[in-house]
Amino acid sequence: MLGFRLSAEKPPQAHRVTDVVINRFEHVYEVDPALMTEHVHQQAIPNWEFNRIVENRWEHLAWMHDHFAESVLSGEGLLAEVEAEG
Amino acid sequence: MATVALLDGVVDELTAICGPDHVFTGRSAVFNRARVPAPFPVHRWEEHIPSAVVLPTSAEQVSEVVKLANRHGIPVVPRAGATGLTDGAVPLRHGIVVDIKLMNQILELDHENRTVTVGPGINMLKLNEELRKHGYIYPDDPASYPCSLVGGRIGTSGWSLIGARYGHTRDLVISFEMVLPTGEIIRVGDGGGPTVRKSSSGYQLKHLFMGHQGTLGIVTEATLELVKRPEAEFSMFFSYGSYMDAWRATGELARSGVATLAGVVLFDEEKIRYLRRDDEAYIPQPESVKAVIACAAYGNADEVRVGAKRLLRIGKASGGAYLGDEISQGDWASRHDRYATPQHGRTRDGQVALMSWHCEDAAIPYPQLPAVREKWHAIADSLRERFDMFDDWGIFAYTNGAFKPWGDYLTEIDIGIWEMKWDDESWAAWVDAKRELARVSIEHGGSISACHGACRAGEVDLVPTELGGGFEVMKTIKRALDPNNIMNPSKYLLGQAYEEE
Amino acid sequence: MAETTASDQRTNGAQTAGTQETNGAVQALIEEWRDVAYNCFSSGHKFCREVCPVMQVTRDERHTPTAFHANVVAMEKGHLSIEDVAEDYVHCTMCGACELRCPNSLFTGDFYRFRQRTIDVVKAMRALAVQSGVHQKNWKRWAELTNRWGNEPVLGWTKETSANKVRAWAVGLNIPTGGETILFADCEAAFYRPSVPRSVAQLLTAAGVKFGLMNQQWCCGGPMWETGYVDIAHAMAEHNMLDWRKTNTKRIVCLDPHDYITIVENYPALDPNFDEFEIVLAVDLIAEKIREGKLKLTTPVRRTVTYHDPCRLNKRMGVWKAPREILRAIPGLTFVDVDHVTQWSYCSGAGSNLGVEKPELTAEISRRRMAKAGELDGVDTLVSACPWSERPLTEQGEAQGIEVFDIFELVAEAAGFEV
Repeated sequence: MLGFRLSAEKPPQAHRVTDVVINRFEHVYEVDPALMTEHVHQQAIPNWEFNRIVENRWEHLAWMHDHFAESVLSGEGLLAEVEAEG
Repeated sequence: MATVALLDGVVDELTAICGPDHVFTGRSAVFNRARVPAPFPVHRWEEHIPSAVVLPTSAEQVSEVVKLANRHGIPVVPRAGATGLTDGAVPLRHGIVVDIKLMNQILELDHENRTVTVGPGINMLKLNEELRKHGYIYPDDPASYPCSLVGGRIGTSGWSLIGARYGHTRDLVISFEMVLPTGEIIRVGDGGGPTVRKSSSGYQLKHLFMGHQGTLGIVTEATLELVKRPEAEFSMFFSYGSYMDAWRATGELARSGVATLAGVVLFDEEKIRYLRRDDEAYIPQPESVKAVIACAAYGNADEVRVGAKRLLRIGKASGGAYLGDEISQGDWASRHDRYATPQHGRTRDGQVALMSWHCEDAAIPYPQLPAVREKWHAIADSLRERFDMFDDWGIFAYTNGAFKPWGDYLTEIDIGIWEMKWDDESWAAWVDAKRELARVSIEHGGSISACHGACRAGEVDLVPTELGGGFEVMKTIKRALDPNNIMNPSKYLLGQAYEEE
Repeated sequence: MAETTASDQRTNGAQTAGTQETNGAVQALIEEWRDVAYNCFSSGHKFCREVCPVMQVTRDERHTPTAFHANVVAMEKGHLSIEDVAEDYVHCTMCGACELRCPNSLFTGDFYRFRQRTIDVVKAMRALAVQSGVHQKNWKRWAELTNRWGNEPVLGWTKETSANKVRAWAVGLNIPTGGETILFADCEAAFYRPSVPRSVAQLLTAAGVKFGLMNQQWCCGGPMWETGYVDIAHAMAEHNMLDWRKTNTKRIVCLDPHDYITIVENYPALDPNFDEFEIVLAVDLIAEKIREGKLKLTTPVRRTVTYHDPCRLNKRMGVWKAPREILRAIPGLTFVDVDHVTQWSYCSGAGSNLGVEKPELTAEISRRRMAKAGELDGVDTLVSACPWSERPLTEQGEAQGIEVFDIFELVAEAAGFEV
């Protein structure tokens, strides 16, 4: 489906990750909704908007790297070199 | 509840100086220039509103406003980005707020001398978007990098996340133009022309006019260092099984002598526990992860590469576990705008409550970090036990020296405060705790503030203790330069400078 | 003269003897928005400021999202009234940069399902102002004429934009009424820039998409929600949904991002059966048809273009790939791109009818946007994908020697159509 359909915007089933964290989308964590029942309440955020925030975050971080330097060196790559060198 | 009226005719005079579009006295104009992100007594908001706000566009206008204030005896409070974590820009005695945000132009790019001259209202990120076109960066990089302004950086003598490599604000600002408390316009630097980096002529006035929190005048122009834009960035995060292991490794990294090293950050156990609440980098970490070190390097690609390998070897040999590129790169990139968000707050029963952020920012000598850490957490715990509106968000320690990252550390305990709950009792308890946090810093050979300024309620009481005879010199200077006590009066206890002997 | 407001004349606080109804409305607003307001107030970090197109020009803290939230707190404490702040809230294009860029959204908004909602707060405050009888002169007139004519008075105060003229742009194209899919052409495009809907219509036809037009299209209602005239907005929305149902329409193609976001964000709450409709962005649909090879672009377009990310597409909906994909598919075109994150701080200044109340502010925001385009090597054309942005950008582009096109106008040219 290309466009917006209301019924496709409901959050998927939650799975527990820790005592205080759940997840609904792969690799994206959320607070246990039970922690937002007294002093502040969660908003109804449709899936398209939820995913937009997640994507915006990664886009922003990538932009920040690019803003500060021409390139980013990989620690994993350099660590492999260090280990190979003994 | 009324706004505080100025003398008849003063608004007309201000208008004649700054123009009709740049003078405001309306209620929303003054209520929205009373506070900054530092803990603020919301229940006493109107005590801090100015009487008028001006947005000048030139040093001459600033000077005329200051002269007018002297004639009428009206306090003047400078305001730049209003992103400070101490309350330098918060009026204590109403008066005129001089808001310099319209003075945000790039005035001169000097390729020969490698300097850029700007108005004080410019933001570093916006400046760097322009400098990038020429292959430069101005590397003053606080956690408020995308929103704080050059004028405020000078007023607080700010600290930069990558200062271990490139220096902090005082090192990066070469010279600047100041309107003194009596309205004269002078230029201060090390000495000599505006682009001279090192001079021995006369007193070193540049340092005097940095970090004065608006008590000694208003910056109207600044000449800044231009640095070659880094070819490469490297960041690494290592986890440790205990705070003490991580503390030892932090010292080794900081003393490594790697020239491209831009900073080392130590996260304590409470900080990791706190980050497990909501930070995607820490939620999946095993329980064995108790402390974390972050490290970053910038510079030419070949040099960063060699330095990075040395840092990785130290991390590994010190018992650390590399947390992977995604966390190392992602978490580091988020540090350029790492102000706390209110949702981090939790009441004692674990419910989310929207909390403001207090960031203690002491400078603590390396050997004292473990002891200070324990005492600070005890103070925070005691607050939380008594009032279910405070929350301990853990401790960071960042290498504090410019160019030489060993020695002392910018050490922050982050404390969440549920500001909707303020009343006189909780505010008083907070101010007491704030004073105790500062006392611990001083007792351990440190300084109350590495970067924000030490004029927040509570801590400010101990500034004379920290500075000793130096505080007497401060008062003498204040009285000499500001005979009518116009500039940000009562800030930094400097009202004492005018009390009868 | 220095700025003075009615509030300056008062000596005794912010509370005015409001009507009971107004006081109730103030309390209701505070109840609804207190937490969001404190979420901003408690942080106060202002990462919104330098991305805000209005703040980049005025540098006045009254116009910051920080102030927009702090005012709610100040109203709760009795320091400010709606009369004190109503005019401040005009200074917003609802571009969404602030609430996107706020760490409370960007770093923790998804985790807590609780983000900064500056646009909603501004809308609520503008609605409260209208409800309290504090009107902005031109917005009021705009709302009255929209209500009278069915569409916004985009051709001036005296040139009627009535519902029976809203299909005039389609003359000669033989588009039927209704059907499963309809093309929703917004007020600005339909009346002021008909080349946009004509381009889209021809492209859809060429790509084999069967579609019709509404029986009688009214304004989507977005600007009415945005400027505080909520009752008129509801009437518009309900009329449009009724019109869709009359013609068994299931799929609405929006060529304008403002229409799309209004329908997606506001309509569902008004209708329990909204799920029967699918709302599609024309820019997504056209990109898909090009990708599938159903729309052939063979006529070279010899221009050096840069792309303006419309705020509602980029900042509010995260749609920035499709337009770039389209531009890269146009033969002959040299595309000098500025990344969409940099463009979080760009804006045309047209949004939420800012230009109706503050034309000089819209013009300055547009001028700065076009100056950015002017800095790019060899760029002679700026392409947007939002008809509302194109009017002020075109006006400013003339002074800078840069032409402004809608993306569909260029695609139509590349597909061989006369635009």
